[in-house]
Amino acid sequence: MTVAVTDALRTPWQLLWWRFLAHHGAVASGAVLVVLAALAMAAPAIEGLMGIDANAVNLFNRFEGPSLAHPLGTDEIGRDVLLRLLYGGRVSLFVGMVAAAASAVIGTIIGLLAGYYGGRLDTALMRLTDGVISLPILPLLIVLAALDLNKIGLPQAITQDENISLYRIIFIIALVGWTTVARLVRGAALSVREREFVLAATAQGATGMRIMSVHILPNVISPIIVATTLSVGNIILLESVLSFLGLGIQPPIPSWGNMLTNAQELIWTAPALAFYPGMAIFITVIAFNFLGDGLQDALDPRARGRS
Amino acid sequence: MTETMTETITEAPLLQVEGLVKHFAVQGGGWRNRGTVHAVNGISLTLVRGETLALVGESGCGKTTCARAIAQLYKPDAGRVRFKGEDITGLSRRQLRTARRAIQFVFQDPFGSLNPRLPVGAIIAEPLVIHGAGGKRERTARVAELLAAVGLNPRDAERYPHEFSGGQRQRIAIARALALRPELVIADEPLSALDVSIQSQILNLLKDLQDEFGLTYLFITHDLAVVDHIADRVAVMYLGHIVETAGREDLFTRPAHPYSRALIDAVPVPGRGKRTSHAAMGDVPSPINPPPGCPFHTRCPRAEDICRRTNPPLMPAPGRGTAKGPGAHLAACHFPLPATAVDGS
Amino acid sequence: MSRVVASRLFESILVLGIMSFVIYALIGLMPGDPIDLMIKSDPKLTPADAERLRAVYGLDKPLTARYWAWLGAALEGDFGNSRLHVRPVLEVMAPFLLNTANLMGLSFILSLVVAIPAGIYAALHQHSRIDHVINLFCFAGISIPVFWLALMLIIVFSVMLGVLPASGIETIGGGGGVLDTLRHLVLPTVTLTIFSIGSYTRYMRAAMIEVMRQDFIRTARAKGAGRARVVLRHALRNALIPVVTIVALSFGTLFSGALITETMFAYPGMGKMIYDAIMGNDFNLALVGLLFATALTLAGNLIADITYGWLDPRISYRKQGAGP
Repeated sequence: MTVAVTDALRTPWQLLWWRFLAHHGAVASGAVLVVLAALAMAAPAIEGLMGIDANAVNLFNRFEGPSLAHPLGTDEIGRDVLLRLLYGGRVSLFVGMVAAAASAVIGTIIGLLAGYYGGRLDTALMRLTDGVISLPILPLLIVLAALDLNKIGLPQAITQDENISLYRIIFIIALVGWTTVARLVRGAALSVREREFVLAATAQGATGMRIMSVHILPNVISPIIVATTLSVGNIILLESVLSFLGLGIQPPIPSWGNMLTNAQELIWTAPALAFYPGMAIFITVIAFNFLGDGLQDALDPRARGRS
Repeated sequence: MTETMTETITEAPLLQVEGLVKHFAVQGGGWRNRGTVHAVNGISLTLVRGETLALVGESGCGKTTCARAIAQLYKPDAGRVRFKGEDITGLSRRQLRTARRAIQFVFQDPFGSLNPRLPVGAIIAEPLVIHGAGGKRERTARVAELLAAVGLNPRDAERYPHEFSGGQRQRIAIARALALRPELVIADEPLSALDVSIQSQILNLLKDLQDEFGLTYLFITHDLAVVDHIADRVAVMYLGHIVETAGREDLFTRPAHPYSRALIDAVPVPGRGKRTSHAAMGDVPSPINPPPGCPFHTRCPRAEDICRRTNPPLMPAPGRGTAKGPGAHLAACHFPLPATAVDGS
Repeated sequence: MSRVVASRLFESILVLGIMSFVIYALIGLMPGDPIDLMIKSDPKLTPADAERLRAVYGLDKPLTARYWAWLGAALEGDFGNSRLHVRPVLEVMAPFLLNTANLMGLSFILSLVVAIPAGIYAALHQHSRIDHVINLFCFAGISIPVFWLALMLIIVFSVMLGVLPASGIETIGGGGGVLDTLRHLVLPTVTLTIFSIGSYTRYMRAAMIEVMRQDFIRTARAKGAGRARVVLRHALRNALIPVVTIVALSFGTLFSGALITETMFAYPGMGKMIYDAIMGNDFNLALVGLLFATALTLAGNLIADITYGWLDPRISYRKQGAGP
């Protein structure tokens, strides 16, 4: 790989791309994720192709092994495992990425405000951040997931919505997951704030809002992307454990986590059912972690030996 | 332009700085004795419309801090800054908006003063956007106009800063400064980061633009050759104090303050041969612990007891033209140099 | 220095206090009213009785009043009774606490014993095949869902091979004794430790690489010290600093992992206790359990802050601020 062309002639994005490509694990992971996402999106099409209804309960067909009609067999009430995996993947990937994005947005706003304005606002926001970081995530999420929504005062229209478990889990994860991005953005904002083009904008009369959005944000976006990518894996793990415990995505919406809920009782009779969804989670999470790691190396010049 | 400076001025000065003070607390990890950097200690200046005042001094004398404090990029600790008669000291961002149309700043570092993520057109148009000056079409036209005015191709508006050389980036910064047709341009060492061959190009560009658009310059520099080229008047700065102000010609031929003399003597001139050195002795004291009395006394060959005790105010230098008005020749010295011309010319 | 420690300690206690209120409020929003539960279990209770009971327990008062009442009692050591276990909360907690301490402690030691040498080795043989393999294992360790790992291990070792027990802490009907307990600890400990090993090894490796790049290592080598000596003396000591910080910061994560592990293996520890309490509407027990988990995480953060600041003298505790 020739890096002889002077860096000054390439845009920052091109440099990043070349460095990223050198990371084989990350590139492979990226490909895997693209394939997974494509498969998940294509679930209805595949369902049509296979000619089966993913939700069809067929008690005569339980626990079938792999066959031509059911490539991965059937589950405890006769549903096709492969289709359930694909639909579950849709939900898990959706929740993972939306919750990660939501956390990133919240964290970015807080980090920008704290880093740019400094002073008392910074102290207050960082105290808040430290407070949230010091909470044990899983126990807290369990409590939040177990809350009775009617007691909070949400209208019936919302609490009885069939997708409520989906929105709820995205909401509570975003509620506690923004801290990493916030710290990151604050640190980056603190350093970008001192650069002369920010002073120049101030000298021209730019408002704080403008400076944060036009000048600081675009220059801190790389670490945000890395941190967000790395957080998706963790979020998928959190969602799956909550769904597994019956607190996250509620049936009939399939998710890899809740596909495993009954598996614990079935390990003696049908261990394969416990294997597939977990394996899917594992592959997805490890792919996101590799991808994030590769992005991180591509974006951090220090990792390459330059200082 | 220079000859009229010594006449009495009827118009109010464009910029008046009185007693500007800016100190910084030294922050250090776990250090016990935190000191204060006395960057700017009671600076007073006046600028008349259309002139170029050069603020000269060596590194660390506080020129950049002074320039930024004047532009309200730092909040002054004391003193007043008046622009067109209006007091702009310590105003809030919102209150400064109007003034910030008319006062523009050009920074020293052409690589740091442009946002690497924005195309050049957006960078130049930013002042227009901030102040709501015209719609998209007008802005694009103005950007093209400005790029042409600074000697760049209007098509460069789509390219990014990293695609340009240092000199070109400084042109872009200048174009940005001109976008709102400012009245005052504060240029903080705009040439210092450029190659020597490029410096004269940019300097000429600045002069041409001044003539074309009727600009007033507050020009910060450490390079006396640049001062010679562009300044109408000069203010010499040392350790946060102004030690001398004079017309350009006056300063170079009849410097009153020993420090100015040392600066001028330090400029090598080919063919002149060895001369009596009036150079200052020793090193510059730290601005964290400035010496009492006259800031220059530790290095001054003419220092006496009173210099160690009392800081001399800016007073009219004896034997040098008008004693009043912006064009006056003032020096902050108990024993100013006699008004004999340097080099016997 | 001690001023900093005192202020951080004070902050931690403050956060704990605020969290106690937040958790108290959240617990109150859980489904199920204590009085409703009483009514369900005793159909002879009339609505009038229910009102009386509400007044007796102070459940008709506003949230803040109830909270202060709870706090007042708590500061004197009275945390109320556990509904599920019908005994004072602290009494109920004690054995669970011990079991979790055993599990977490064992896991902690095991993870460090494996991760530190592995990280050092990987750092010393950077980019070699072994390094890549170790790296792969680390990524796998931090990516695997803990509850699924538990399931897989149970399937392999209990269902298929039948050599290790799938749950509990002692074999029912006979058993007890150290060996039995240890047998029951194997699978849970392994499950819990996989994540930590993956995480700590990566940090150890990164820290070693970072330290070895620095100038003073080259100087030490130039002085003629043998490579092993150089590594062990200088690099390790400095590399351990960020690792200590990371380890302290992971107390919270470790506890969360323990919660899942204990639930999967029906291991009677704090994690399972908290989960059962939340699911079983045992408000008092859940509240105290959650506070314990919070205190543990806070303690970890506090230790991390202090050791980081103490060991790295370049850190400044002063905050900067600049206006527009």
